[in-house]
Amino acid sequence: MKKKLLFMLALVVTLLVGWGATSTTAQAATDNSLARVQKKGTLVMGTSPDYPPYEFQATVHGKSKIVGMDVAVGQKIAKGLGVKLVVKSMSFDSLLVALQTGKVDMVISGMNPTPARKKNVDFTHLYYQGGYSIVVNKSEKGLYKDKDSFKGKTIGAQTGSTMYNESKKQTTDTKVKGMTSVSDLILALQSHKLAGVAMEKPSAQAYVANNKQLAMIPSHFNLSASDTSAAVAFKKGSTSLVTAANKSVDQIRKQDLVNKDYLPAAGKYLKTNTVNTSMWHYWKAFLTGVKYTLIITVCSVFFGFILGVLLSLARMAKGGVIKTALRWLATAYVEFIRGTPMMVQVMFVYFGLGLIVNLPALTSGIIAISLNSGAYIAEYIRGGINSVDDGQTEAARSLGLTNTATLRYVVLPQALKNIWPSLGNEFITLIKDSSIVSIIGVSELIFQSNIVRSDTYRGVAPIAVIMVLYFIMTFTASRILNYFERRMQHD
Amino acid sequence: MTKPIIEVKNLAKDFDGNAVLKDITEQVDPGQVIVVIGPSGSGKSTFLRCLNLLETPTSGQVAFDGQDLTTLDTKRVNELREQMGMVFQGFNLFPNMSVLENIKLAPMKVKGTSDADATKRAHELLQQVNLDDHADAFPSSLSGGQKQRVAIARALAMDPKVMLFDEPTSALDPEMVGEVLNVMKDLANQGMTMVVVTHEMGFAKSVADRIWFMADGYIQENSTPDDFFAHPQTERAQDFLSKILM
Repeated sequence: MKKKLLFMLALVVTLLVGWGATSTTAQAATDNSLARVQKKGTLVMGTSPDYPPYEFQATVHGKSKIVGMDVAVGQKIAKGLGVKLVVKSMSFDSLLVALQTGKVDMVISGMNPTPARKKNVDFTHLYYQGGYSIVVNKSEKGLYKDKDSFKGKTIGAQTGSTMYNESKKQTTDTKVKGMTSVSDLILALQSHKLAGVAMEKPSAQAYVANNKQLAMIPSHFNLSASDTSAAVAFKKGSTSLVTAANKSVDQIRKQDLVNKDYLPAAGKYLKTNTVNTSMWHYWKAFLTGVKYTLIITVCSVFFGFILGVLLSLARMAKGGVIKTALRWLATAYVEFIRGTPMMVQVMFVYFGLGLIVNLPALTSGIIAISLNSGAYIAEYIRGGINSVDDGQTEAARSLGLTNTATLRYVVLPQALKNIWPSLGNEFITLIKDSSIVSIIGVSELIFQSNIVRSDTYRGVAPIAVIMVLYFIMTFTASRILNYFERRMQHD
Repeated sequence: MTKPIIEVKNLAKDFDGNAVLKDITEQVDPGQVIVVIGPSGSGKSTFLRCLNLLETPTSGQVAFDGQDLTTLDTKRVNELREQMGMVFQGFNLFPNMSVLENIKLAPMKVKGTSDADATKRAHELLQQVNLDDHADAFPSSLSGGQKQRVAIARALAMDPKVMLFDEPTSALDPEMVGEVLNVMKDLANQGMTMVVVTHEMGFAKSVADRIWFMADGYIQENSTPDDFFAHPQTERAQDFLSKILM
């Protein structure tokens, strides 16, 4: 059995690798990137909106919106191509993967065109050149002069960013901690888990301007031009698109649009942002989060249950070659899903499956969580079916009921009753675990709270709010489940 | 001569190489009441369960109404099973359904009987087993004797030609044995063909047309109750009777 499993795993891996390889070669063959974008009429821009003033969430006419100088750059490029700009937000780590898998057409996210990145994507000319600063707590400003003042301390930087790599390289005796979002870094700074946060100068200025407890110092990092400047990233090989985008980028540089127009405009959003940072002001954002969390959970439990029933039946199939193969497949599936993290599965469905079909993030999230949940539910159901006395099946069969009818009317209802508490647990776990899809940019509760956090520069309050909201949801769910559990009790 | 309803030829059953039934050839005529008795572990239950293929025989034939069940596909076996009601030692009522639903399930799902007809028939059967006032109760609220009478009504709802009873009173408290045996006697008097595995010798004496005495995987004796209890032929039967009549 073990050997067979290993063989099947190897087969799966080979298939996936082969599939990935063929699809990349196919893409490199022709460059119709410009024609493709113009044909669909939209240019999808990926960005990580927690990096003011490059890109951040602001409330515009009561609606949360991604704004900032990078968005203005994106608009300029889209206009130059004669198409509409669509902004998609996701974590900084995921941006280049999203670009390579065609989830977005370009990435503008204050991204430095480093040699390593240039190997994987094509960059336009630089549209902005800045520098690095380090943000520190105002009360400690006197302690630090530049990057060399942090001996024995910890500084933070956004994971996957140039600052992170340079901080590691160019400091001695200093620990560098990476976090996905800058708002988390600032929060860690304010709670003294970090002594400083390295970020680009405009961002540092924005944070300091909006938070009176913060101050900034120069970093004195030794940097090349490509490390401190930002460019637009396109998929490798899309020369025609890059050439077209460069026309707009060159204009931006020539007319100094970033400093003249874009940054001041972004600054205005930052100001309006800090006017009303009460959590009540953001109830709509939280409501959206609750809505998506519930949609994901309910859909995933529904599809997961159906999948779970099928898988559990397949796992219990006995008989000929086909049934044996089914049983192996189902067993391998369950073991594989249970043996890999849900986060990886979510990313695999979104980015991996994205190579074949372009699924929206919400659909990908629901698919991934259903697939995951199905494996767990299958095990519960298998246990539940095994817990039903054989005599029940015998009685049903002796009455002439078919296998299917026996299962449907006699065995499954009893199994369901037995496993109801476990299923309830799974449901409640899913309410919480659905937060994982925030990494692919689905506006569920965690994602929304991050938006509110970067919007208001308040680190803790949004977390407290969603904690309460999660509890209300799980508590209500457990009450409802208990009600049905009581109704099923006949003995 | 009437045609036998059940014909068993050279039936054998192994469990993992352990022979429980060795070589059984018998037949049941319509209207007959057969009582199968014998020491524990002699294969009585296994034999009964082979008759409706709840156990698949290792070799030999089991024919019902002239058709060899062992050669038929699942669909035909299901159809023939409808005609053989079975009552189990452990009742095996469906705990997730009321008494009425227990009885209605098979007629509605297997035969496609309408809800109204199935309900009407279920109430008739419940009157027959004297439990009509418990129609809406759930099995968990019934006594063992009541459960077994519901189980009999449930099996009868499919209008079977034969009823198989697998130690129907063994799991009951002594004071409830009578009510179940009375229902079975009524059934026998109405002319139902029955194969009963039981330890109730009184029932065997008064109701059975034939006694099949089973031991060591064989049917050792096949005789009338009078002959069997008065003059057991084999040593095994004499030994068995001397033990239970003491």
